[in-house]
Order: sequence, then structure tokens, then C-alpha cells
Amino acid sequence: MANSAVDPFLQGTTGRNTRGLLRLIILWFESIIHEFDPWFNFRATKYLVQHGFYSFWDWFDDRTWHPLGRVTGGTLYPGLMVTSGAIYNVLRLLSMPVDIRNICVLLAPAFSGLTALATYLLTSELSPSPSAGLLAAAFMGIAPGYISRSVAGSYDNEAIAIFLLVFTFYLWIKALKLGSAFWGALTALFYFYMVSAWGGYVFITNLIPLHAFVLIAMGRYSPRLYVSYTTCEHMSSLGVFGLLQLVGFVEFIRQQVPSKQFQTLLQSLIVAIFLVSVGILVLLTVAGVIAPWSGRFYSLWDTGYAKIHIPIIASVSEHQPTAWPAFFFDLNFLIWLFPAGVYLCFRTLKDEHVFVVIYSILASYFAGVMVRLMLTLTPVVCVAAALALSYILDTYLVMDSPSAEAYVNDRTKANSTTSGAATSVSVQQRKASSSTASESLRSTQDPLIGIYSSKSKLSIAVVISTYLLLFVLHCTWVTSNAYSSPSVVLASRLPDGSQHIIDDYREAYQWLRQNTPNDAKIMSWWDYGYQIGGMADRATLVDNNTWNNTHIATVGKAMSSREEVSYPILRQHDVDYVLVVFGGVLGYSGDDINKFLWMVRIAEGVWPDEVKERNFFTDRGEYRVDDEATPTMKNSLMYKMSYYNYNALFPPGQARDRVRNSRLPAEGPRLNTLEEAFTSENWIIRIYKVKDLDNVGRDHASAVAFEKGSRKKETTSKRRAARVLRVE
Amino acid sequence: MKFLQAFTWSLLPLAALAAKKSPKVETFEKFHQKALSSSPLKLGDREYDELTGPLRNYSVAVLFTAMEPQFGCQPCREFKPEWELLSTSWMKGDKSGESRMLFGTLDFADGKANFQKLQVASVPFILLLQPTVGPGAKPNGQPLKYEFGVNPSEADAVHGWVSRHIPPGPRPPIVRPVNYARIVAVSTIVLGLLSVLRVAWHLIVPVIQNRNLWAAISLISILMFTSGHMFNHIRRVPYVVGDGKGGVSYFAGGFSNQFGLETQIVAAMYGVLSFATISLALKVPRIADPQKQQISVWVWSAIMLGMYSFLLSTFRVKNGGYPFWLPPF
Repeated sequence: MANSAVDPFLQGTTGRNTRGLLRLIILWFESIIHEFDPWFNFRATKYLVQHGFYSFWDWFDDRTWHPLGRVTGGTLYPGLMVTSGAIYNVLRLLSMPVDIRNICVLLAPAFSGLTALATYLLTSELSPSPSAGLLAAAFMGIAPGYISRSVAGSYDNEAIAIFLLVFTFYLWIKALKLGSAFWGALTALFYFYMVSAWGGYVFITNLIPLHAFVLIAMGRYSPRLYVSYTTCEHMSSLGVFGLLQLVGFVEFIRQQVPSKQFQTLLQSLIVAIFLVSVGILVLLTVAGVIAPWSGRFYSLWDTGYAKIHIPIIASVSEHQPTAWPAFFFDLNFLIWLFPAGVYLCFRTLKDEHVFVVIYSILASYFAGVMVRLMLTLTPVVCVAAALALSYILDTYLVMDSPSAEAYVNDRTKANSTTSGAATSVSVQQRKASSSTASESLRSTQDPLIGIYSSKSKLSIAVVISTYLLLFVLHCTWVTSNAYSSPSVVLASRLPDGSQHIIDDYREAYQWLRQNTPNDAKIMSWWDYGYQIGGMADRATLVDNNTWNNTHIATVGKAMSSREEVSYPILRQHDVDYVLVVFGGVLGYSGDDINKFLWMVRIAEGVWPDEVKERNFFTDRGEYRVDDEATPTMKNSLMYKMSYYNYNALFPPGQARDRVRNSRLPAEGPRLNTLEEAFTSENWIIRIYKVKDLDNVGRDHASAVAFEKGSRKKETTSKRRAARVLRVE
Repeated sequence: MKFLQAFTWSLLPLAALAAKKSPKVETFEKFHQKALSSSPLKLGDREYDELTGPLRNYSVAVLFTAMEPQFGCQPCREFKPEWELLSTSWMKGDKSGESRMLFGTLDFADGKANFQKLQVASVPFILLLQPTVGPGAKPNGQPLKYEFGVNPSEADAVHGWVSRHIPPGPRPPIVRPVNYARIVAVSTIVLGLLSVLRVAWHLIVPVIQNRNLWAAISLISILMFTSGHMFNHIRRVPYVVGDGKGGVSYFAGGFSNQFGLETQIVAAMYGVLSFATISLALKVPRIADPQKQQISVWVWSAIMLGMYSFLLSTFRVKNGGYPFWLPPF
């Protein structure tokens, strides 16, 4: 292993460079930050670089969550920003002034290279074959499940967290193997880094203690485990820590006093103490003294929990359960090599293999419950698949074959002399192997011989290389089709095959930046909060950091209620502009009308009497926007804002919504309290200005009616006026 | 509408006067006495009319249900214990009737006339009638309807709904009775299991220390999770769905959709592919006979190729634009 160490490392690095290059090509158009969360991270990093670490730590952000503000320094995971800030400063120290934006854009690809390296190291610890590590690193480099988070511009916590995850696991395995306090301390260090970088850290905080616990339960306690675990130090880890101390103590006693009865006594003591402490933990949790599980985490165990209690978590598309095509889409043939690799781990089943087995089961469970956690599954799938594939390659790609004659001779001998020497030897071998049968797998009981014919070697080599090539094609296809187009800029194909760029988001954010006062407050659904903050630099009511459910529900209520109810809410929150996303013209399905039900649900969770999901469905339980839409739906602010003036695009009575594929009512909605301020080229973003109170003291409905020239109706205006006056 | 409102308002003082004299005042006391002994009240047409008369100084929630077996109303049967629990704990918590709240059940068998009058199309649902006179009255309030299916059918949810809509007053909490029989049963089973463990310990140890067993458990759970079992569990997808021509469609259309059987087929495909891999990696190099080895290499790689090709063709069904394929499928 030692002399071959340099060679695969070099190959690993070149492979890494190639992959880095591949990702750079994705930057074909412009370096731009993708998605939603990265915009906030980018903004925070800029703040960090401009104002220094200490003021970053105390940063109170009054540009978001208006009028509440957000204690940003204390509520974010600073690992990512600190990392890029450090890189920025180091580069400046080396007199290489690089724009902070470029660092942010390219951080994810750079760290994915490091991830490939860490995967190589981790796999090399698990398998004696150097090819396993290389394969794993290559898989990790191109598996779509990971590429989705590591394309340039995806400046998110996950970008560095997966590297930290894999590397922490590598260090832990290393510490466990060597029993060294040094490696344990390194594990602790990276573990701390990981905690500061990603909310998903609960995964390792529970995986490593679980591994230690399983090892103890398997009777594999060793001083190495003691040293490595006590050096590197949530809830369950504390329990296992105590258990480990106990076991360590007992083992120490046992070495001194080899009395059988004493031993039994102590073992039962340990079990009793463990049970009692678990009982206390459960009791305390039930009594509500401590709340060790956060809602997001709890929803992983009780899968129905989120839907009933926290619609805000259930509404995020990343938190949906995973259907099988998503697994295949993200992992291709690795997904069926994965169980084979886990099976191979059972062959030798050293401490580190136990780790892989536990990791595999837990990660596949989590990935099945939440699409987002596919990310934690990808490393172990790559490792296990590489184990399986490298084992096959190592077996079949050996030039020298065992001689078939030995077998023939052996058999003829056995036939001629019933008590031949060779047979007795092999019988003895059989006996020896069968006595250890319970310790090994059934499929590995016979002695290993090798592959005789070069025909079988060749066929396997051809088949495996075909699969590998197919995998590369698959990954390229998936990456270019699904994961590399930034959601801010949409690309579509025109009928003649040329590419057409739809840049409505940036157009609209630029409009906001140039045409609204610097302190304007923009209300939109929370998905767009970070983007408005980052690209338009305007204050928002809610954003993707969904820390205050009530505030989000307020926005939901404003969107889903009648204008008469919404207007006071808008006024109370100083809203100047309202932004909605509408895809009806283009057939862009991720628009606000499709997200609308979640707004209704979240609002209903807080005001169950004022907003009712049922009222948005027709009597037959359909969600419609056409003539048969319910009155509640038609009167809701969101509906009005989406379809306002939409009829003007079409000949009379021909207005069609291309997302929901329905014909709209002949007469479009009327807006009284808002006026259209901006609509982007393809109508994806529509911005409305909230009207000020009427100069003459009329309510907006009658003012609009007056301007339209229709006669003021005495009765209706009186009744409306009475309603508008209602202020909560 | 406005006229009607004015009319009702003008009636109010009269109603108050009338309430003082008429025996209506005692309606609540009468029914409350009954409710204390058995709640929810089992109503017939006559009792329902009396209870829900136009002048009420109390709130009443009535569950419309159809318990008779010929209707086969599963939700009715499921909700019945919850309803009983809610009403009994309310009555027990508010013996003096301070909250002025009554619970009743109107079965289709006893209240055909009212079912017809209200043009009930589906059961179960709850009607909540708020008081029309007295403190917190809503003189022209329409009865509120609690429908199941869209709303949760737990007593706690109904409790919350009722509490929000009746005038201020005590809201006795739901007290779930301790199920002693269950505690006894569970502890008996646990003790039984413990003694079986104690007696058969020497038989069990080799089993739980068996590596093959653990390998099998791990592989099965991994296959289950990676083929989308949790999705089935959370979304409660149907096992199979008819294709409208009398046949069965095994695969759901669309990328993020699946059926129960579909995931099992996929899990089986993954299983076969993994097994072929394991055989090629571990078993084949251990076959001593060269000819046998040659044949099994070909057989296993043929199985692998065929299965993988089938998997790809299945995936093309799910994801229309997927361009890759392998022979033969």
C-alpha cells in the first residue's frame, strides 16, 4: 500500500482536475449564483468580507423579516462564509486580488474536488485494493446526486458540508484503526467545523456514537475504540460516552480479577445502568423537561408528523419523500452495486466495515424520507459500489490463471484412491472452514481459486466497461439536463432548435433595484426572499430562513384573503410592493398559483377560522382557476394579482393558462387596492404597488369605480366602506 | 338581507321576554341532566327539533351519522369512539353546565325527517349551532359544519374547533381513559418474551450472532429504502391501479409517482442485479470445475445484462426523454 500510495494519488488528482474542468465548462454563459439559499450566503459573505468577523458575528439584519429583523450572526451556520472569507484573505495576502463573487461561485467545484480526494482516502481505508479508492473517487466526482450540489454557483452549505462529512468519517475510521488520540483530535476538529457549516450535522453526531455502540454490543470493545472515541466528543453521544467509560472501567477490572461470577455481575450492572439512563431520557422527554429533537429532525422519524403540525416544513419540495426514479436518476447503476458492496463488507467485517453497513442503512432510510438527504447517501453508495466493482475487477482482470490441470489431477486422484493425501487435506480444509461458518458468509466458505478461462475474463471486462461508459453518459446527460441550469435563468428550446434564454427574474430584480426607493419593502412568498435581498437589495417580509412561522402565515393570509382583508395587513407591515411569480404565459409550472395551496395551508394553521383550505376547492374537490373556480379563489389577492390584465393578451374570451391548461373567465379580475407596477417580458414576475390611502378619503373600490366612470352606487359603497374600516 | 337583519334585531327584546316566560329556558337544563348520565345524547327527530329550536341560550354540536351496517360507513364507525370520548370528558369536566354546551348524535335511522330536511348527501359531519340568545349569542349565525376527510378525525381537532366557536367559558380538556387491559397485555407479553429469551438463550445466541442473518437484514432494508418504500408509506399510494380496460397498470406515469407493486418490482430488479454481482465477485472464483465456472460466468452476466436492460427500459417509461438503452429491451 505504501509504495503504491503516490501513484493513485496522482491519478486521483488528475481525475479531480478533469472533473473541475468539466464543471467550469458549465460556466459557459456567465458566473452567476444559482437557486435561492446561495443568494443569502453570498450576501452574508460580502458582509463578512466588508465588515470583518466580529461585526459579522453581531450582525443584526434589518433588511429581512420586516418589521422584526433577524439576528443573522447567531442564527446561521458560519462555516461556509468563514471558509470563503479565509480563502479571499489568503489570496489577497498572496497579492492575487480576486472578486469575492468568483470565490463564492467556484467554491463548490473546488470543494467537490476535495470530496473526491476524501472519498478516495476513506475507501482506501476499507479495502486493500488501490483500485477501490480510485473508483470511489471517480464515482463521487460524477455522480449526479452530488453534482447537483456542487456545480459552480451552487454556493450552499452542502457544498462544503459533504466534503467535511466524508473527511470526518475518514478521520474517525483512521482514529479507530490506529487507536490514536491524534487522529481522534483531528476528527473532533473537523467535526466542529462540520457543525459550524451545516444543519445536517445531527447525522454524524448520531452516526459515530451509534457505530461505537454497535461495536460494544458486538463485543468488540477495544482500547483503540476507547481512545478514539473519548478523544473526539448531543444527546445520544453523551449516553454512549458514559457507557464507554463504564465498559472501559469494567474491562480494566476484568483484566485484574479474572473471576467469572464477578464478570457476569458487572455486565448485568452495565446493562441495568444503560436501561435506566435510557428510561430517564425518555421520561424527561415525555415530561417536556428537555426537547432534544427539533421539528425538522422529528419529521424524519414520525413521517406523518410534519404534514399535520408543521406545514412549513412539509411545503418545501426538498423535504418530500423520494420515489424510486429519483434514486436511479441520481445514482444510476451504483444503486444496484450498492447492496453488493454492503454484502462484501460483511465478508471481513472489521470495525470500519461495520461503520459502512450502519451508514448505508441509515442513509438509505433518510434519503427515502427526504429528497434532500440523497446527498448524504451518495458518498456511501459511491464507496460501497466501488468496493464491489473493484473486487470484481481485481478478480477478473488478472492475467495469470490457475491451471485447470491441477483440478483434473485432483479429481482423478480422488477417484482412483479413496483415501488420497490430497483429498484428506481438502477435507481438513473443509472442516476447518465449516467450523468458522458462523463467523463468515456462506458464499465465501469454499477456498478461493480464481478464474480459469480468458474468455470469461474478457466478457466480464467488456460488460463492466460498457456499464461504466453508460454511467458516464448518464451522468453527463443528467447534469446538463437537470442540474446545471440555474433556476434564475431559464433556458428553453425554440421550435427551430436554437436556445432561448428566459431572464425574467433578473430583469425584474434589476427593475426593483433601479425604480424603487432604497428602503422599499417588498412582499413575496418566502421562496423569493433571499433572491430579492441578494439581487434587488430591498427589504423583504419573509425569506428562505423560515424561522418565524407566524410571520410567513401572515404573508400567506394576505395572499389568500380578499382585498378588503389584505389591504390592512399590507399597510400594517409597511409593504410598498408585492411580487408574484406567474407562469401562465410560458407554462412555467413552479409559479405561485401552484404553490398557493401551501400558503393557504400555512395561513390556516395560524388562523383556522379566517382562511380555509376547503374553500379553495370546488364542490367536487378540484383546484381550478377557470370559470368554475370558487368565489374564495377568485377573490383572493393572489389570484387577482396573477391574472390581472391577463385577458388583454388574448382575443376576447380566449385567455388560456398554459400551466393549468384551462380557459380563464371572460372577464378578468379587478384590483382596487394595488396597481400594476411592472410585468416582466414573459410575465413570470409581476410586481404591484400598494396604493396609498385615497386623498379624498374614499375607499379604494369606489375610487376605482369613480375613475372608470361608472356611477357610484350608494348602497354597495356604504357596505364596503364599513368593511374597510375594520382594522385588527 | 338587511331587512331580515333588522327584523331579527327588532325581535330580540321580544325573544328575551319570551325566553323568560316560556319553558324553553329549561331545554338546556333538561338535556344537560340527560347528558350527565349519558353523553353524547342519542337524538331522534323530535329531540333534535326541540334541541335546535330557534331560541337557544346554549351551544349544541350534533354528529350526523349512519351506523347501521347496510350503509357500511367506515368513517362513522371510526369516529364514534372519539366523539364519545370528547362528549363524556366535556360533560365530566363541566358538571354544572357552565359552558352551556351539549353534544348529540343523530343517526339516520332515528332522524330520517331531519336528514331529508337538511338534504344530507354524505355522513359523517358535525353541525355546531351557536346560541341565538344570551351572552355571546349569534342571532342570525348559520350552523357551522365540520366535515371529515378534509379535517382530521381526532377528538382533539374537533375539541379545538368547538372551543373556537362557542362563547367564552370553560373548555374541559379531553381525558383519555387509561387502558388497563392493554397495559396488562403488554407487560404479560414482555415478561413472556423475557422468559422465552432466558430459557432459549443458548439457541438464540448463534442466530443473532449469525453474520448471514445480519447481512440479509441489511440488504433487504437497503433494497426496500432505495426502491422508494418510504414514499409509499408516507404518501399512501395505491398498490396497483386499473388501466381502464380491465387490466392492471403496473407502473405509474410520471417521474415522481409510483405504485406499491411497482416499487416491489424495482426492488426485485435491484436484488437480482446485486445478487448477480455478488455471485460474480464471490461465488464464481470459488467454483473448482473450469467448465462449470465458464458457464456460470456467462449465465450471471447474461442475467445482469438482461435485468439492467429491463431496468433501463422501465426507467424510460418513467422519464420520457431518457436517451440510453441496452439490448435486448
